Amino acid sequence: MASALEQYVNTVRNLSSQGNYRELCDYLGKSNEVLLKNAPHLDNVLETLDLQQHSLGVLSVLCAKFNLPNSANTADNKFVQAQDFINGCNGEQIRLVPDLFSELCHSLTAYLIEQKQPMKGILLLKKAISKLQLYDSQLTLIHADLCQLCLLAKCFKPALQVLNVDITGICQEGSHGPNGAQFDAKYYLLYFYYGGMIYLAVRNLDRSLYFLEVAITTPAHAVSHIMLEAYKKYILVSLLLHGKVQMIPKYTSQVVNRFIKPLSQPYHDLANAFASNNSVELNAVLNKHTEAFSRDHNLGLVKQVMTVMFKKNIQRLTKTFLTLSLSDVASRVGLPGPADAERYILHMIEDEQIYATINQKDGMVVFRDEPEKYGGPEVLKNLETQLALCMELDRQILAMDEEIQVNPQYVKKASGMQDEETPSKSTYAM
Amino acid sequence: MLMENINALAEELEKQELEAVNGIASPQTYERLLAIYLYQNDLCNAKYLWRRIPPTVKAATTELGQIWAVAQHMWQRDFAAVYKALNTVKWSDTVAEIMMLVQDKVRSRAVDLISQAYSSITLDTIASMTGLTIEVVGGACVEKGWHVEADTHIVHPVRPKIENSGHISSEDQLFKLTDFVSFLEN
Repeated sequence: MASALEQYVNTVRNLSSQGNYRELCDYLGKSNEVLLKNAPHLDNVLETLDLQQHSLGVLSVLCAKFNLPNSANTADNKFVQAQDFINGCNGEQIRLVPDLFSELCHSLTAYLIEQKQPMKGILLLKKAISKLQLYDSQLTLIHADLCQLCLLAKCFKPALQVLNVDITGICQEGSHGPNGAQFDAKYYLLYFYYGGMIYLAVRNLDRSLYFLEVAITTPAHAVSHIMLEAYKKYILVSLLLHGKVQMIPKYTSQVVNRFIKPLSQPYHDLANAFASNNSVELNAVLNKHTEAFSRDHNLGLVKQVMTVMFKKNIQRLTKTFLTLSLSDVASRVGLPGPADAERYILHMIEDEQIYATINQKDGMVVFRDEPEKYGGPEVLKNLETQLALCMELDRQILAMDEEIQVNPQYVKKASGMQDEETPSKSTYAM
Repeated sequence: MLMENINALAEELEKQELEAVNGIASPQTYERLLAIYLYQNDLCNAKYLWRRIPPTVKAATTELGQIWAVAQHMWQRDFAAVYKALNTVKWSDTVAEIMMLVQDKVRSRAVDLISQAYSSITLDTIASMTGLTIEVVGGACVEKGWHVEADTHIVHPVRPKIENSGHISSEDQLFKLTDFVSFLEN
C-alpha cells in the first residue's frame, strides 16, 4: 500500500480514537487529492477502517471512489459499499460533515440514475435522511435526491411519507466551517419542485399547488430554471384546482414578475382562454402552442385543463338553472351529445363536484342545493384539527420570534435604533 | 380475513417491492399489489405501478396485463367493460380472491352512485352498471325498496339518508374546548 495512504489510515484512526473530530474534518478536506491519486488501493483502505468508529474516514474514501471516472474494477462494488456505509455509519460523526455526506448521496443518486435502477436507492436515501436529521421536519440536501429517485422509479408512496411532514427547519451544512452556513438553493428549489410534481402525480392538487408556490416565492435575484418550470406548472395546477390562476403572493421576488412571466407566455394565453369559458378558443390556444407545451413536457396537463373547462361550465350552469335537459347541457357546454353530458355529470356527482339528479325517463337534469353538512360531528372534528394546526403554527412563530430576539446581531441593531423608535417587544404575540 | 388484512398486505407488498434485489420483485408481488390498488380504487398508484413494472416481467406474466385492462376500464369509469374484463378471465390463485373483492367493490360503488345520481333510470342502464342480468336487477331493486314501473322498465331509486355516525365523549370534548379557549385568551 502506498505510504501516503498508510499515513491517511493512521491519522484517521488516531484522531477518531481521540474523539478529535474537528481536526479530522480539516484533515479530510486536505487529503482528497491523495485519495484520488491512489485509486486502485482504496478498497484496501476501506478494509482497515471500521464503519462505526471511523465513519468520517470511510465517508471521505467513498466520496473519492464515486468521483473517480468509471473503470472496470471499481464500478461494481461501490454501490454495495455505500449501502453498507449508510446503514452502518455513526450518525453523530456524519452530522459534523453534512455537506460531504450529502455529496455522497448526490453521487449515489447520479450513479443509480445512470444505471437506470432508481428503485434500489429509495429506502437507502430515506435511511440516509433519517441519519442526518436531528428532527423529522428538518430539510436536508438529500430530500431532493429522494424525490428525484421516486419520480424516476414512479414509486411515490415512500416520498409522500417524507413530503407530508411540513418543513420547519433546515439542516445547515458546514456550519462549523469558515464560510459559515450555506444551504445550496438548488436543492431547496428542487425539493419543492419535485415535491409539487409528486403530489400532482397522485392527484393531491392542493398540496401540489402549495409546494410549487413555495418554489416560486423563494427570494431570488436571478432567474432559476427550476423556478421557471415551477411557475409554468403553478399556472396549470391552479387552473386544474381553482379554475383560475391564483394571485401570486406579494412577497414573491421581483424576478418572477420581470423575467419569468414573459418567458411563460403560452401559459398565460392558455389561462386567458380558459377565463373566457369558451372551449373553441381554448382549443385554438392549445393548437397554437402545442409545440411549446410538449417541449416543456406539460402537454398531458394542458389536456387535463381542457376537461376541467367542461366541468367548470357545467358547474356554472347549476348557478343559473334548476332543471335542464341533457341535450341543452351538451349544447351550452360544447359537448358533442346528450350521452356525453350525462357521462360528465355522472362523474361530477361521484366526485361531489356538483349536486344533481339525472332523470333518464325525460332526459332531464335537476340541479340541487348542496346538502346541509355543517351540523355533524365531522365538521366539528375538522374544525378541531384546523385549530390544532393553527395553534401549532402560532407556537412555531413565537419560537422563531424568540430566537431572533436573542440573536446578538439583532439586539445590536435594535439597540442602535432605539433613539428613533422602540422596536415592539413581540410583534407576533397575540 | 383477507378483507380485513388487505391494507396490511398492501404495505407488506410495497415493502417487498422496495427491498427487491436489483429493484425487480416477483411477478406475484406485482400482481397482488396491482389487484389491491384496484380494490382500494387507488387508480393513480395502480397506474404508476403498471408503469414501473419492467417490460420483461410484463411479457412473462400475461395475467398482469389482464389486471391492468380492468384498471384501464375503471379509470374510464366504464362499468360494463370492467365486469366484462373481470369475468372473461379465469384468475389464478394468486389474485382470484382479490379480484372477487374488486368486483364486489365496484358493484357497490355503482349502486351507491345510481341512488345518488338518478331519480329515474332504465333497467338496462342499471344492468350494465352492475354487470347483472335484468331479472336479477329487477328483483334487487324491489328488495331495496326502489319503485319499478312494470310497463316502461323505469326504476325510481331512493336516495339514502345521510347517517350520523361517531360519538365523542363529552369529557374529551370539554378538554379540547378548554384547550382552545386558553389558547385564544392568551
